[in-house]
Amino acid sequence: MSDIIIIEGIGHVMMEVAAALLPLMLFFLFFQVFYLKLPRKKFIDILKGVVLTFAGLTLFLQGVHVGFLPVGKEMGLIMAELPYRWIIIPIGFILGFVATFAEPAVRILNHEVDKVTSGYIPQRVMLYTLSVGVGISIALSMAKILFGIPLMHLLIPGYFIVLLMAWFTSETFTSIAFDSGGVATGPMTVTFISAMSVGVATGTEGSNPILDGFGMIALVALAPILCVLLLGMIYKLKETQSEKQNA
Amino acid sequence: MQNLKETAHEVIMAVLPIAGVVFLMQVTIIWLPWTSFFQFVIGLLMVSTGLVLFLLGVHVGLLPIGEMIGAALPRTGKLWLIVLFSFILGFAATVAEPDVRVLATQVDTVSGGEISRNLLIYSVALGLAFFVGLAMIKIVFNIPIIYILTAGYILAFGMAWFAPADFIPISFDAGGVTTGPMAVPFILALGVGVASVMSGKSASSDGFGLVALASIGPILAVLILGMFFS
Repeated sequence: MSDIIIIEGIGHVMMEVAAALLPLMLFFLFFQVFYLKLPRKKFIDILKGVVLTFAGLTLFLQGVHVGFLPVGKEMGLIMAELPYRWIIIPIGFILGFVATFAEPAVRILNHEVDKVTSGYIPQRVMLYTLSVGVGISIALSMAKILFGIPLMHLLIPGYFIVLLMAWFTSETFTSIAFDSGGVATGPMTVTFISAMSVGVATGTEGSNPILDGFGMIALVALAPILCVLLLGMIYKLKETQSEKQNA
Repeated sequence: MQNLKETAHEVIMAVLPIAGVVFLMQVTIIWLPWTSFFQFVIGLLMVSTGLVLFLLGVHVGLLPIGEMIGAALPRTGKLWLIVLFSFILGFAATVAEPDVRVLATQVDTVSGGEISRNLLIYSVALGLAFFVGLAMIKIVFNIPIIYILTAGYILAFGMAWFAPADFIPISFDAGGVTTGPMAVPFILALGVGVASVMSGKSASSDGFGLVALASIGPILAVLILGMFFS
């Protein structure tokens, strides 16, 4: 990679984005004609939004194609060849922690949990728990690549615990917990860190990139569910205890 | 303008910390050639700008569509119509979901084109669409979410037993990427509209578990795809 690539291949990306937005547009037009019948001005506003989405998605995907995917993979390859390659595990932890700590979607979730539990789970506790949780998830998925641990050995116990806990909490809390799975799989995790783990798997001897390189997002999605349910249980215990004391 | 500032702030917060760590890694252990690192920085700028434009566009253009359709659907008064249109809308939103595209591109590249990008995207979209339709039935009949979740995951793990090993990590990753910046607001907007009209519940977006259900469909769909491959 000696020359800097910026717009090479952007024509393909534009075609891809156009095809991606087409079903949504057709559906909207159908509704516009038969059900919505929006006034002209409102209709034009929506079209403006669609143009913005088109431009944004094109730029985003182009950036991922020319920047994140190749460079992320290269970095992963280099790390896999380091003499002290165990360092990928703590690096995974740091990446996960930092990404979650700053992620805006996480703050919205924390606020929601704070509200539902009427302040029993302080937002700060929740933020640290979640960040550590996602950190552990990415560290685990790096360890999984280095030691060739099958993904199922992590996912089955993970989901077993999560579902078991969910049977003992309320409908609302279960919904919030499972809905939160997506908050940590933000744009950087899905693009850059994921490319990096494919690189690590490619560079690790005896590792199969398609089998070992993927699965990181699945583990990252599990962390918030586990954290929310766990904190929810602690909160419930505390509540019943204080009720006993009051009685 | 306020919107632009907020969105830009949101994107910077989501992108910058990782970029900082990557820079630290570069100057301590990785030492990529600087042209490569510069390529990363260019990618970073494009991704961030793209994300700001995308989120703004979703906000002014696509979300109102979701909300209006979500509100218009229940007025048809027919359950089968609601489920059908939720299905189509779920499919259309997933096809446009950036995270799904990125994962599918990576799978396409790593598998050397054997699992093609579009095949994966459409499978994931079908899986999600099916479960969004199911989620509407759940809202209307007030089925406890834990029943669907338990059954869904037992089915997923059971199928993973029979699917080819290569497809297992991809399938569970696919469940994670559908909860991206496009599908989630769309599904929520739809759910809010349907719930407020059909079951007389208050129109709040929390406590639905719609997103949770949306993650199971793609897992099952990709596992089924894997079984076709073997």
